[in-house]
Amino acid sequence: MISLSDIPARPAAWITLPMVVLATVLLATPWLLPAVGLYQYLGIEIAIWIIFALGFNLLFGYTGLHSFGHGAYLGIGAYAFGLFQHNVAVSLWGGLLAAVLTAGVAGALVGAFLSHRRGIYYALLTIGFGQIFWFLAMKLHRVTGGEDGLLGIPRPPLTLGSWQVALTDNRALFYFAAALLLIVVVLGWRLANSPFGRVLQAIRQNETRARFVGYEVWRFKWAVFTLSAILAGLAGSLLAMAQQGAYPDVMSLHQSGLVVMMVLVGGGLVSFWGPVLGVVFYFVARDVLGGLTETWLLWYGLIFMAMVILRPEGLAGMLHGLSRRRPRLQPAPAPATEAA
Amino acid sequence: MALFEARNIHKRFGSRVVLENISLSFEAGQVSGIMGPNGAGKSTCFHVLTGQHKPDRGEVTFDGQRISGLPPQRIARMGVSRSFQLMNLFDDTVVIENVMLALPAFRARRLHAMAAVFSDRVLIDQALAVLDQVGLAGRAWDAAASLSYGDRRALEIAVALAAEPRILFLDEPTSGLGIEATRRLAQLVKRLRDRYTIVMIEHDMRFLFELADRISVIHWGQVIAEGPPAQLADNKWVRRSTLAEATHA
Amino acid sequence: MIDLLPHLINGLTLGLLFALIALGFTLIVGVMEVINLAHGSLFALGAYFALTVIAGGWFSGTPFGAWWLSLPLGLRYVLALAIGPALAGLAGMLLELCLRPTYGKPPLYGLLLTFGAALVVEELIRLIWGTGEQNLALPQAINSAVLLNGMIFSTYRFFAAGFSILAIAAVWLFLERTSAGAVIKAGAHDSEMVRALGYDLARLRLLVFGFGSALAGLAGVVMVPIWGLRPHVGVDIVIPAFLIIVIGGVGSFWGAVIAALLVGLAMGITGAYAAAWATMSMYLLLIAVLGFRSRGLLGRKSALEN
Repeated sequence: MISLSDIPARPAAWITLPMVVLATVLLATPWLLPAVGLYQYLGIEIAIWIIFALGFNLLFGYTGLHSFGHGAYLGIGAYAFGLFQHNVAVSLWGGLLAAVLTAGVAGALVGAFLSHRRGIYYALLTIGFGQIFWFLAMKLHRVTGGEDGLLGIPRPPLTLGSWQVALTDNRALFYFAAALLLIVVVLGWRLANSPFGRVLQAIRQNETRARFVGYEVWRFKWAVFTLSAILAGLAGSLLAMAQQGAYPDVMSLHQSGLVVMMVLVGGGLVSFWGPVLGVVFYFVARDVLGGLTETWLLWYGLIFMAMVILRPEGLAGMLHGLSRRRPRLQPAPAPATEAA
Repeated sequence: MALFEARNIHKRFGSRVVLENISLSFEAGQVSGIMGPNGAGKSTCFHVLTGQHKPDRGEVTFDGQRISGLPPQRIARMGVSRSFQLMNLFDDTVVIENVMLALPAFRARRLHAMAAVFSDRVLIDQALAVLDQVGLAGRAWDAAASLSYGDRRALEIAVALAAEPRILFLDEPTSGLGIEATRRLAQLVKRLRDRYTIVMIEHDMRFLFELADRISVIHWGQVIAEGPPAQLADNKWVRRSTLAEATHA
Repeated sequence: MIDLLPHLINGLTLGLLFALIALGFTLIVGVMEVINLAHGSLFALGAYFALTVIAGGWFSGTPFGAWWLSLPLGLRYVLALAIGPALAGLAGMLLELCLRPTYGKPPLYGLLLTFGAALVVEELIRLIWGTGEQNLALPQAINSAVLLNGMIFSTYRFFAAGFSILAIAAVWLFLERTSAGAVIKAGAHDSEMVRALGYDLARLRLLVFGFGSALAGLAGVVMVPIWGLRPHVGVDIVIPAFLIIVIGGVGSFWGAVIAALLVGLAMGITGAYAAAWATMSMYLLLIAVLGFRSRGLLGRKSALEN
């Protein structure tokens, strides 16, 4: 079976062909969506969830740490963005920074507690912490607005120097989210093939060995948890802008499970691009199947079960299967002296 | 003082005493062997020496520094490297990355999050040089999972070597190997002995007697005999168990 | 000063019910090393099947339905107590069949598969029984109020608690005193040994999963009059069950029982002072316990840590 740690074809490239394809598709999305009978807002949702899912997969797929409470950091980002707009200043960059920092700090604290745990205890603790944050969001009525959510979050304009553009239009907000998404993709891909990223993957493959070749495994686990919480916070701030509000439901176990399902269905266990495919598949399925039947989640659940049983490598793995036997570009060195 | 010393090690699991007052010392530049019957406590002893288990009593020192009680990663960074009897590799990736991850140069770059590993000539050349030592340079870009049993054993040793150890622990290096692979491994150890201090657990007596400068025999959780191979060959217990080994095989 | 007694009693009864749910869960974890996230869904299924038995369903319009609903409520309730868990057990066996391809793979796959199953069951429940909140009708005999120490208690709570104690004792006796129980306990440690003893491991797993699921269904029938019946109840209940297993130590019988009582009491006592925060207390308990004992109160090392 293929795996995430397969050596990429062109390790040194900052920009790869799939990135160009993604950028092109993103650029065309505001025209594509209406053409197939869908709406602009869907594009924003997809871009946000891809950022969230890519960050999540650094933890889930790459490091093999199974968090089932990651929606919490998405929610924290959204609340932090909203509270910044309400209480500090109406500012896009300020809000993004607040969201990223708050989610990062929350992730760092939880990560510090989690990182010495393994396997099922790790997964269960992530659920526990996720529920705590969700519960706090529901109960701290005065701060978060409780079950009604934090309402009236503005979409501050994007300012770069003297250049300013409003994000109130869904198409403008989509392009902003898409630009952030592309940055996350480029940096994420780079990270996955950096020494730091390879150590993460080494920990997934064999934590004991990683320790015995000298790595402080728990620090890496902590760092990647924090990093994925930061990306979730970034996605959360975009979500707050998109919904013009922040609601506790994204922090529920259900939503946290949803990102796991998306990543797995897309093939996050075997491919960097898995989360992208999985998120797109989910939202398109939701809108297309959801238009046909009330019980579309039943069908999505059944598809998911079938995939876990039959194709745990997901959509990306299936695509890879189609384009098999592409030669590695990394040349094999001349055979050295054979063992005597 | 010896490079690596264990003094009065006790270790029990629950009510079962596995190591009872074990003392061992390994001199720099030598090949030391540990032998004993199955269940004698060899493996536990090895785990205690390399930091996987903490001893209940006693201490382990390396180069004068106490290492017992330290986590394995700290001990590894001090220059104590080990291979595993049950192969313990990074199996989702290629051969060369297994070695690269263990290089001190790689560890020094561990926080570089934007550098590309596989276009780093320094890392690749160093890793290839290590692989060359164990005869695997030609397989560098093959999947680690695709190696034969004997080659996986060689890769185990390469990973341990890549850390540039000051002392190298080999855990039953011949276990599961055929005659030919064992012979190749013996030659590898002979080549390594000039450069490294080596400690190995081994149940293959012939292999051990051929390579070791000094052998400690462990039985019932205690060291029952110690000395150079020639001297031990006459030891009553060793002869008996060599015989048993031969009839069992 | 609040009078704590009623809250302690509430907490204790809640804990006993939690223990009932957690037992089926821990049995499955111990023997199969599968974390069954659909355990709550089987709990819900048991309760919904019981609802159909007691209040009728698609067959209500038929002559059989009319005859059925004319039977005394007490009789229908007793039948529901048997049929609900039995059908939940069957559903559990079906799930076990789905799980088979995941054996030998990392525990993640079992976790994910049962997560999907939980989603599917919840949607099925919406489809079959509707999305609203429903009530299980109870016979008068176990559903009256009793005045105790100047306070009103529902007798049903005592019935439920007593029933849980009986069920827990029965499971314990089954594990300790029967040969089948011995094999299950052996399987909890060593599936090789089960095979060596000549038992069919595949059948053992099927039966244990069915049995654990039936316990979940039983807990569902007994608990739902207290917790309410809605499609989401499976997810609501699987989380406490889950936490209890972890707090108690994965695979430990008494660990689960003790943890369940602790969680129940924590919720009861918190409920006395700050009702809105009762649920929170169990998460804090989890973090407190795991902060000090990384394998829970009575946990052993398990393959699930890999």
